[in-house]
Formats: sequence, structure tokens, C-alpha cells
Amino acid sequence: MTRIGLEIHCQLTKLESKLFCSCKAEYRNLAPNSNICPVCAGLPGSLPILNKKAVEKAAMISLALGCTIPQKIGFFRKNYFYPDLPKNFQITQYNAYGPTSIGSDGKITIQGKEINIRRIQLEEDPGRLVYEGKSMLTLVDYNRAGTPLVEIVTEPDFETPKQVRVFLNVLADLVENIGVSDPYLEGAMRVDGNISEGDGNRVEIKNVGSFRDIEKALHFEMTRQQSLLERGIPVVAETRHWDDARRITVSSRSKEEEQDYRYIPEADIPIVLIRNESIETIKKQMPESIVAKRERYVKKYGIPAQVADVLSSDRFYSDLFEKSHNEKNAKEVANIITTDLLSYADTREKKLELKITAQHISSLADSIMDNKLTRNSGKQALQEMVKTGKSLLDVMASLDLGHVSDVNSIEKIIDEVFKEEEKAVTEARRNPDTINYLVGKVMRKTKGKADPATTLDILRKKLSS
Amino acid sequence: MVERKEIEHLGDLVKVDLKEPEKYIKQVEQIIKYFDRLDTVEFNSDDTLRNEVDSENLRDDKHEPYDISLIDHLKKDQDNFIRAPKMV
Amino acid sequence: MNLGISATEFVSQAKVGTISVEEFVAKTLDRIKLVEEKVHAFITVDNQNALAKAKEIDKKIKSKDKVGICFGMPVSIKDNLCTAGMKTTCASKMLENFIAPYDATVVSRLKSEDAIIIGKVNLDEFAMGSTTEFSYFGPSRNPWNVDYVPGGSSGGSGVSVSALECLASLGSDTGGSVRSPASFCSVVGLKPTYGLVSRYGLVSYANSIEQVGPMARTVEDVAFLLNIISGYDSHDDTTIKNDSVDYTKDISLGISGKKIGIITQMIGQGVDQEVVSATNRAISKLQELGAECIPISLDAVEHSVAAYYTIASAEASSNLSRYDNLRYGFDFGTEGYEFKAFISKARSNFGPEVTRRMLLGAFVLSAGYYGKYYLKAQKVRAMIKAQLDEAFKKVDFLISPTMPILPFKVGEKIDDPLKLYLTDINTITANLSGIPAISIPFEISSSGLPIGIQLFANSFEEKKLLQAAYALHKTTHLPEVPL
Repeated sequence: MTRIGLEIHCQLTKLESKLFCSCKAEYRNLAPNSNICPVCAGLPGSLPILNKKAVEKAAMISLALGCTIPQKIGFFRKNYFYPDLPKNFQITQYNAYGPTSIGSDGKITIQGKEINIRRIQLEEDPGRLVYEGKSMLTLVDYNRAGTPLVEIVTEPDFETPKQVRVFLNVLADLVENIGVSDPYLEGAMRVDGNISEGDGNRVEIKNVGSFRDIEKALHFEMTRQQSLLERGIPVVAETRHWDDARRITVSSRSKEEEQDYRYIPEADIPIVLIRNESIETIKKQMPESIVAKRERYVKKYGIPAQVADVLSSDRFYSDLFEKSHNEKNAKEVANIITTDLLSYADTREKKLELKITAQHISSLADSIMDNKLTRNSGKQALQEMVKTGKSLLDVMASLDLGHVSDVNSIEKIIDEVFKEEEKAVTEARRNPDTINYLVGKVMRKTKGKADPATTLDILRKKLSS
Repeated sequence: MVERKEIEHLGDLVKVDLKEPEKYIKQVEQIIKYFDRLDTVEFNSDDTLRNEVDSENLRDDKHEPYDISLIDHLKKDQDNFIRAPKMV
Repeated sequence: MNLGISATEFVSQAKVGTISVEEFVAKTLDRIKLVEEKVHAFITVDNQNALAKAKEIDKKIKSKDKVGICFGMPVSIKDNLCTAGMKTTCASKMLENFIAPYDATVVSRLKSEDAIIIGKVNLDEFAMGSTTEFSYFGPSRNPWNVDYVPGGSSGGSGVSVSALECLASLGSDTGGSVRSPASFCSVVGLKPTYGLVSRYGLVSYANSIEQVGPMARTVEDVAFLLNIISGYDSHDDTTIKNDSVDYTKDISLGISGKKIGIITQMIGQGVDQEVVSATNRAISKLQELGAECIPISLDAVEHSVAAYYTIASAEASSNLSRYDNLRYGFDFGTEGYEFKAFISKARSNFGPEVTRRMLLGAFVLSAGYYGKYYLKAQKVRAMIKAQLDEAFKKVDFLISPTMPILPFKVGEKIDDPLKLYLTDINTITANLSGIPAISIPFEISSSGLPIGIQLFANSFEEKKLLQAAYALHKTTHLPEVPL
């Protein structure tokens, strides 16, 4: 069995200022080192001053992922030397000496799969390194240093790289939805993975540039590990980097030295007390959670649990659902979205290309419920509306999709079929089980528009007369 | 016993080339031995002394650019970057 | 003109024009020139700006413009407090030429009250030491006998105040660094409650326990400085939002009816006999003034040195990581070096004591040892505070000698770090627990060396503490510094 865990870094891009100083949180497209002050440049004597809103936004992510927020949160220093770290330590959170990070022990269900969240921590982003020329000179820009970042650590609950991709899409939608981040900004969301096969060793995968590539990297790594194990070669516990150009993972050239981060409490930032009232205020600012939404779908509309799961965990589709359904057609709308529409558009790009509107879906559901369209024709209509954005009526006219349920029209068609299929009629009279052949013929003649129940009814009558 | 290898490892952790590691071995060992008494203290509380602040009293999220161009006071290189040695 | 007057006296005379600020500052600069080669208190002296500023203030006084309450008082600043435009070296090769682009909050508060920053004074490198011998720029010397250490790490502050090179000074106190030189140099030095004074611009050594502290020749002067430098600062999240207090008001209220606890662990074994006798005489004086003195045992004090050096080393090893010579620091080209080799070479320029503490800090924080050392040390802090809280239910103040020993000769203990660490036993309790403590010059030993007495009060009770210190200081008749 494959086990995959993730560490997701998500910048809180909706903030004005950095995590510990008043420099701008948005560092992109600025002249090098023009967005720095003594605090984020790590000058002697400077002290970090914690951003209130960053704590609130990190708390929102924790709540949205079902994590527990402790009454007291604390910060730690993670000590290691690197030129992108102005202080040569990173201010972050750490749970080894008690749960003091902004969130722990959460869980989120995605398409029926439960993913446990181990920990959510608020921390500062380092600066950026630029390598120059053949000599590989390192140049450092600290504009990004101190940008507020949330790290989300999952348990190794994923079994396939595809589950990872689905989860990341949902997570991206989630952070966008609660207003903490624009995950599609360059570098706003970065993912490291760890993966193991069976009882084999765990391999860390880093340096995956875009979070969409993580699926490919994990897939490559999974196959590599499986083939090693098949040949009886044990997997080495190591860190591998994703080589974007060659589309493979490579063992980190110099085996990264055993890091000893010497965590120490950050005494410049007092322990932060988060009162229940503060959490309540934060909750009020948040849109409905996925779990609450799911429950509402099941309880209020009688939508099957599995359908509600899919619908509630996808912000785009649940929004569409909210706009298109009414008390009466909710179940049908949910069905159309989760069984049909989702298969056309499961990525963000495809979703953005959809031309269909809430109005379209609502009228489609109504037409199906009023027997004006068969479910089959409904699918065709939907496909056309997705592509063209035309109204349901237009689509039905152009594709000739009207539902044929009046007895006279169907009788006429059945009469035609009886003439053409004498042999089959005789056979059907002797053996009623073969009647479906005739139903199929009727359907073909009506391009699927004939109401199946009515057709069967009339057929049986005519056969027995 | 603290040995040369350990002192060098500690030196590596804090990134200091120890010109004479021997000089530190005995002193560090002696002091750590003294620290060991902490392990024998009996506590009746897990409290540690830390300042506390209510989350509502933290800094408001407001962008205020620093009043001078700080990079002009640092060792800047071409295009106002900071230069670091090569990484590998 | 008498350079030996108190800061308070200077202010009252400068205000009415019986002292010319320019003349006083010029005389002070002459004095510095005269005594520096003997005592070496200063790393940087700001002759030109000090005089220019003095002239400006004289002009303001004459034309009855608004003048800050310091009226041009010359003040020295420990060289680990940032001063815009003036070097802040931390007495280290690593920051030999570092000029901070900003003022520490305490410095800007002094400046805005028209204090004159006459220069930056010596310290043990990055404030790690208790003798000022570990300065990259060489040791400072005790004005009472230049063969002796002035205490530390704020040795330059103690010396400059004692040797009449300024009227007052700001030091920093991590484990006694204000009170030790105050005691050894016969001046007053206060370590305020953690969180009362901003640390913004104080170069961190052990940031969970250190505070900036005023040093001067009288208790009233120290209260005057505390009025200026204390209070909430939006640049330091650990400062406390308290109502402002006038520490000079009612300072002569006396201590009649107050209860004082004598900390038995700080006056027993290992304490110099002359120091013990002096402390007993101080206790008698306080009793004569109407205070009741009782012995108090704080057994957690026995673990304090181990706890203190564990915490201080651990925090130092992290706080000093930033000195890698990339963004600032002495010139050292990066060509031909790989990153790790470069910074390890640059950082080999830390002095031996700083290096030692970084190694110790790395040890106590390294994987698997946190629970054994750092966490235990943190618990000792809480234990000490709990015992102090109990004690302060019974008494208003606690008393001890500031230092268990008399000043010793330069070089005498430099090769035995642990022995040196143990001399901090009486001062570190205030740092570990956060409570305020003050050293008051009390006697001169038979060998002509100063002895200081330390008083403690509970957190944020500086006003009360200064009243008691004032009362005790008034009972003394100390000779002038024989320099």
C-alpha cells in the first residue's frame, strides 16, 4: 500500500503587512530589497511584533480544517543557517512540548476519503535567493522575508497521487473561499510530499515548483519505489528533489546533513491568549464550513451522503448549487452537478471555461422533474449548454430534444416499428423478456426522447392484443 | 565526557571554525557537568515563566513602509541585492 | 565646575542658568580625555555632536524655548544599545564598524528629553561576562583601583559614572550586568522588572530575561532616568501597558514600618567576610530607620546559576546566529568561499567567552537534551518566582550583598569560567524571576574597594524599591573616587 503525507505552505496573501513588521506582505514585483526594515532584515536590536490579523487568518484555516485551536499559542525559533534567513533562524510554531501551534488534529473528508490534519502552524517566509551566472553567485532579496505563511501538515493518509491532487484543489478553493489567500499567485501555495510503499522507508519530495506537479512527482516516486521493491531492493530513506525539466525525482546531490534545529521558545513574542469570544468572532467572519454545508445538504434536502460530500467539498460547485437550486429541485440539481457536470470540469481551468449558469441548471432540473426531458436528453442538453452557454430552450430546439410522452405520437412510432420488425414482434409475443429490443428501436427512432415508461406500457398492450 | 568530535560538532551547529577546539573541551565539560544538577531538581509544578498577551491586543495589520531605504545601510551588491557565497 | 554633582542637581542648575551646558559638556569631554587611558570606559566618544547639541540647548534655555527635562545632561550608553549614526559595536570584532540606522527606544526617549549622548561605553562582548575583560577593545578598569575589574558586563557604564565622565548611563542587565559594575564601581544601578523598559534596539543576548537599566550616582537620578525610559513600546511586544508612575515623587518617604527579608542563601557560605559584615551593617541601618528585618530562605536559589547559564547560553546561541557578515559586519569578501565555510570563518571572530556560550547553548538545545536542561531551567525560573511570591507575602523587600566578593584583579579569574559564573549567584535571581533589583553603594572595604548592597521588590514595585534604596543610600558617607 502506498502512503502519502503532505506539507503545504500557504501564504496569507490577503494581509497588508508582514507577520512581524509593517512592511508590505505583497512582495512580488518590487525592486530588490526595497520592502525591508530592521525587523525583517534581522538587524541587531530589532524585535518581532506579531500581526493580529495573521493569527486570525491562520485560525480560520484551522477552523475550516476542523482543527483544535489551543487557548494559548506560542512561537519557537527553528535554528539553521541559510542566506535567505536574515536571522539564521525562522520564527515558527512547534508542538513537541505541548500543542501551542494555531491548529492541531483536524480532519477533512474529500470524496469520501478522510484526510487527517496533524498540525497547522503560523510562520515567516524566508527571503529569496537568485543564482547568477556560471559562478553560481548567490544574490539575496529579503522583500519576501517575513511574509506570513501557514504550514499545513497532513497525516500520511493519501493512497494515490490522484487523491493528493483532488485534495489540493479542494484546499486551494478552501483558502480562497475563506479569504485568507489567493492560492494561484506565484509561490503562494507550495507543497512538499512524503511517500512510502508498504513497510518501506519514507522518501521526502521537495522542490516541486507548482503544486499541480506534485501529483506527477508522487506518481513517478511511487512507481520508482514499487519497481525497487519488486526487485527486492530496499528504498533508501532520503530527500529527493523534483527535477522539473526531466520530470523525475533525483536524490539530493549532497545528502542533506542531519539537521538539528535546536528549537527554542521565541521569548520576544509573549504567549498569545486566544479567548473563546475571539474564536467566536472569527467564526462569524467565516463562510459556512464544508462539514456544516454537507450536513445541511443531507438533512434539509435529503441529498444522499456521498453526493453531499462531493458537492460540499468543492467550493465552485457548491456555490453553483446554492445559486441554482430551490426547495423542490435541490436533489435533482445536486445530481446533475455531481454526476454530469463534474465529469466535464474537474480542474480549475476547466471550471473557468464552463459557460453554463445557475439558471441553466435550475431549468434543466425542473424540466427533468416535469418529465419534459428524459435524463438521457438532459445529459445532452447539459453538454451543449456547457459548451455554448445557450439557454435550455434553445438547446432543446436545436438538438430536437423535446420529451415525447403523448400516447398518440408514441403509438404511431410503435406501429412503424411493428411493421419493420415483424420477426421481433412475434418473438416478443412468445417471450416477453425480449421486449427491450423493441423499446430500443422506439428510442432510436425518437432519438431517446420517448418516455421509456409510456413506451413500455403501449408496447405491452399492443403485444397482448 | 565531552570529546573533540563533540566540540567540533557543536562548533558546526553554531557555524564557528574552532581554531583550538581543545581549549573548549575541558571548560564545556566542566560547565555541563554543573548543569547536570538541573536534572535532579524536583518540581511540583510544570509552570514556566512566560509573558502573555491577549490576541486582541496584537498589532493591527497595517502597511507602513520603513522611513529610510534600509538597503543603503547594508552591504549591498549589484542591483541592491545582498551577496552570499555560492551554496554548493 | 564640579563634575561630581548628581544628575538631578545638574538639571536644577542648568534650568536656571547657573550651569552652562556647553561648559559642563566641554569639561566632561576634558575629563574623559584625561582619565580614559587609565580606565578605558568608552569605545566611542562623540565630541563634536555633544558640544554642538550642548550649545543648542543653552540657546534654548536662554531664549526660554521648550527644553527637554534632561537639559543637556551628558549620558553614556552601553555599546549594545543602538544609536543612529553612531557605532554600536557590542565590543565585538563582528560589529566593529556597525552603525545602526535607528535609535533604541530608550535612546530616542533620552534624546527627546534633551539628554546628550556623549559616547558609547565598553562591555563584555555582547554583554557576556561580569568583568568587562571580554571586550574586543580591551578591558575597562575600576576607577577605585585600576588594577581591579570594574564588574560587568556594563563595566563601561559603571566606570564612566564613577569616574565622573558623565552624569548617568544606560546599561543592560541579563544576569546582573548593571548591578555588578554598580557595586564594584560604587554607583547606583537598577535592573527594572522584565517588561517595564523597552528592549527595542538593545542587541539581544538572553532576550527572555534582560532589561535595560539606568546607572547614576544617586538613587534619585536613577528614578529620574527610569521616568524617561520606562513604559510601553509598540516596538517591543514584551513591554507592559501600565499606568505611568513618577518614580521621583515621594522618593524620600522612608521605610519605617516596612519588612525586609534577608536572603539566607546569598549571605552564607562563600561570601567574603568583609561583604558579610557590610551587609549586616546595612541591615542595622535599615532597622534604625524603622524597618523590620527577618531571615528568608529561598532554596531555589541553589539551582539558579545552572538555570541561568543554561537559559542564557541557549538564547545566546540563537540570538547570535544572525551575525554572518552577509548583510552587515566587518568586511570580508565572499569570493572563493562556499556558504558554510564562509560564515564559519567569519564567525570564528567571536571572542572566547561568546564562543563558549554558543557551544554550551548548542549543547543544551540539541536533539534529545531540551527536556534535560532548557525545560528544567525554565521550571527553575517558575519555582524561584513562586518562592519569591511567597516571600513577598511576608515582606516588602529582600536584601543581599550585590556581589558575594570584592572586586578582583584584572586577569585573575579569566581562565576559570565556572568560578566566574558562580559570582553571579546573588544577581541572577532577579533576572530569572523578572523582579526588579537595585544595587546601592554602601561601603569601601579596608583595601579601598567598593561594596554594594542589593534590594529586591516584587514585580513593578520600582517606586517602593527606589524609596527603600533612597533611604539606605542616605545613611552612607562615601569618599570621592580616588582617580
